[in-house]
Amino acid sequence: MTVQLIGGEMSVWSDLDATHGPAPAGDPALRPLLTAITGDVLVAGPHAPELVDAIPAGRVTLLVRGVADAEFLAARYASRPGVTVCCGSLDKFSTTAAYDTVVALDGLDRLLTPEAADLTWDETLTRLLAGLSPQGRLLLRLENLFGVHRLLSLPPTPPDTEWITPDDRDPTRPLGPDAVRARLASAGVAVTRDYAAYPGALLSGPALTDPALQGFWQATLAAAAPIEPQLADPARLITGALRHHLADALAPAWIFLAGPASAGPAPDALIAAPAGPAPKAGAAGPAPEVGAAGPVAEVRREAGGRWTHGGVPVPVGRTLADLLLAACARRALPDVRHLVTAWQAGPAAGVPAAQVIVDADGDLHGLAPAGPPLRALRQFAASAIAGGHAHLWPAPADEASLTALLAGMTGRELDPRDVPAIPPPAVESVRELIIARDRLTRELADARAKHEFYERQLARRDHDLRRLRQLNAVLSATAPGRAANTLVGGLKAGRRAVRAVVRRARD
Amino acid sequence: MHHANHYYGHSHVLARYCGLDDTDPPRLHGYLQHGWNIGDGLAPDHEYTPGVPSFLWSERTRRRAWSLGRRQGYVVGAPFAYLLAMEPAAADDEREGTIWYPFHGWEGQHVVGDHDGLMASMREVEDGPVTVCLYWQEFRDGKLRRRYEDAGFRVVCHGYRGGWWQDLDPGFLYRQLAELRRHKRVASNRLCSAIFYGALAGCAPAVYGDPMHLENEKQAFGGQPRIRREWAALHGPYVDPDLAGAAAVAELGADRLLAPAELRRLLGWPMPDRVADAELTGVLIR
Repeated sequence: MTVQLIGGEMSVWSDLDATHGPAPAGDPALRPLLTAITGDVLVAGPHAPELVDAIPAGRVTLLVRGVADAEFLAARYASRPGVTVCCGSLDKFSTTAAYDTVVALDGLDRLLTPEAADLTWDETLTRLLAGLSPQGRLLLRLENLFGVHRLLSLPPTPPDTEWITPDDRDPTRPLGPDAVRARLASAGVAVTRDYAAYPGALLSGPALTDPALQGFWQATLAAAAPIEPQLADPARLITGALRHHLADALAPAWIFLAGPASAGPAPDALIAAPAGPAPKAGAAGPAPEVGAAGPVAEVRREAGGRWTHGGVPVPVGRTLADLLLAACARRALPDVRHLVTAWQAGPAAGVPAAQVIVDADGDLHGLAPAGPPLRALRQFAASAIAGGHAHLWPAPADEASLTALLAGMTGRELDPRDVPAIPPPAVESVRELIIARDRLTRELADARAKHEFYERQLARRDHDLRRLRQLNAVLSATAPGRAANTLVGGLKAGRRAVRAVVRRARD
Repeated sequence: MHHANHYYGHSHVLARYCGLDDTDPPRLHGYLQHGWNIGDGLAPDHEYTPGVPSFLWSERTRRRAWSLGRRQGYVVGAPFAYLLAMEPAAADDEREGTIWYPFHGWEGQHVVGDHDGLMASMREVEDGPVTVCLYWQEFRDGKLRRRYEDAGFRVVCHGYRGGWWQDLDPGFLYRQLAELRRHKRVASNRLCSAIFYGALAGCAPAVYGDPMHLENEKQAFGGQPRIRREWAALHGPYVDPDLAGAAAVAELGADRLLAPAELRRLLGWPMPDRVADAELTGVLIR
């Protein structure tokens, strides 16, 4: 297969290798969306090959801007019939072809090259839609420039990709799902389903807003939060956004399915994150799709209103971590004791508290494999301290001491020295570092104050001891004192004599 | 950390609950509330070392302490509540009369008030036998003690509360509990720990009569007037026993007692199996 150079191509460039900017679209949760598409397909922009692999056999045109990427794709799909690789800028791409499906799951920000005219977001979309047949279907991603990933990012250094920086001050760039829906509707491609896209999870509005799934989403999204240097632990912001019904507004991106649906209704959510109950053998519903990157499960609402995840019912309730921290904040220690005891006494004992759902009956459902229970207990202690909740317990609130105290709440005897170590967080965020610094500063000041207190106590006791010794010396010098000493001396001599006699008798 | 931790045999009771030698409780790593109060839980002149936790009786006290800047509070409940948990009442408890605690000063303080007037109030209200429990200072004052005895009251003293790690009386609370369980009612001229103890131990409480006052009494945290306002329902010769019981449970933290393992960790105490000569009921034997 040869690469069609359409013009504007970048000869020393790759979007797929992520050296010049972020990794290409490749979240495994997107795969089921691609398996469902039909007809002639245009895949515009960088997409991980695992996603392209998921597209059913047929005519597929891949448009990338880097020559290296184009050559890589041409080699990869050399034996797959119907695949065409085009390399260049979207503005040079022939729009005469009418594609049944246009896939732009990397968004619109990596379709143009430095050689291209400076098109706005809206003009870029117009160019892309020009390739869509009248009954065509569009899969589009829009990055949220006010998403959690941006709110928490450290001051960025512009990457090579940003010769033009995506900017939310661009008046043609939609700032939320409503604006995208309106824009696509006016173009005659009505949105049939949209998702808030978090790492490893796509969540539709109905799935996000149902309070019954609150705990499940908290567990799922927190577990898949990216590990990279940032301002604060994203899991806390994401779970907070879920509580405040802002998870859609603050999602890192949105995915839109527009145009007539080819198959049945799209799933309410797609989960590729590690969290999720293991589907049971023989369970009703579609089996989760298994690919190279692991299973992706569909979340659907069944006719009876019940939510299923990969065919098994989704546990409904709040996470144990959420309930524990809520009880701690209220200082409802009896509730904390009850929850920790129930957790540590059951089969979910080794599952991290953030991955345990507590249902209305108080039953616990682990969403992750169970490890050693003490490790899970320590993980909760660590997250409580890192989250700034250390003041709830008497200092020093180091992880091992707090773990031992939590174990004590369950009636279990545990020495902090016997608490297993857990690896430190892969990357510490600025907020957590400040919390740790302030806590350690406070603990050091407290330790110094205690040291001074003990010094004073010691001086007082030394003084008492000196006085008693002086008193003892004075009393020993008096007549009764001397008599007492003589008596004690005599008794000791007598005892020695008796022992000597006994010894001789034995010999 | 503080000699007041050992007042009234409090640390001894907790040591027994924790399965440790209750004749010689280990050093308690914190400040233990030793009486009901309307401030931050500890004595007004209490000195704090930063970072040393306060072990408080009730959540209400902890909240108040927090508002006063005391961040290191942890609710453990009153030692008396632990004693009660370890010493369940006998089914055939025979109760009679009233145990009456006249307001007393503490070491170095003197109460100013009319004891004859107080005795008159007692006679007017109580129709059964009355036991008057005097604080050790007043009990040692033969003249005052005889005034109550001559008036026909039985006079007792639960003991010396101890001070500066000396003359500790591990049996104090045991004697108090035994006396409370002998009586149907508990009364005082001020709302105080004894009233809550009595209510928790099954006595019908009452607070009436001249509240008296201390020489140069300071009205810390609103003092007696605030107590009367805030806990008005617990004042009077006859108090709703259900309400008083609920108040006693809350103020003594009786619904928030810790398991021994947790308490040991908090107080910085060893595990029982590391104490070779644990004598769990040494105080009782003595």
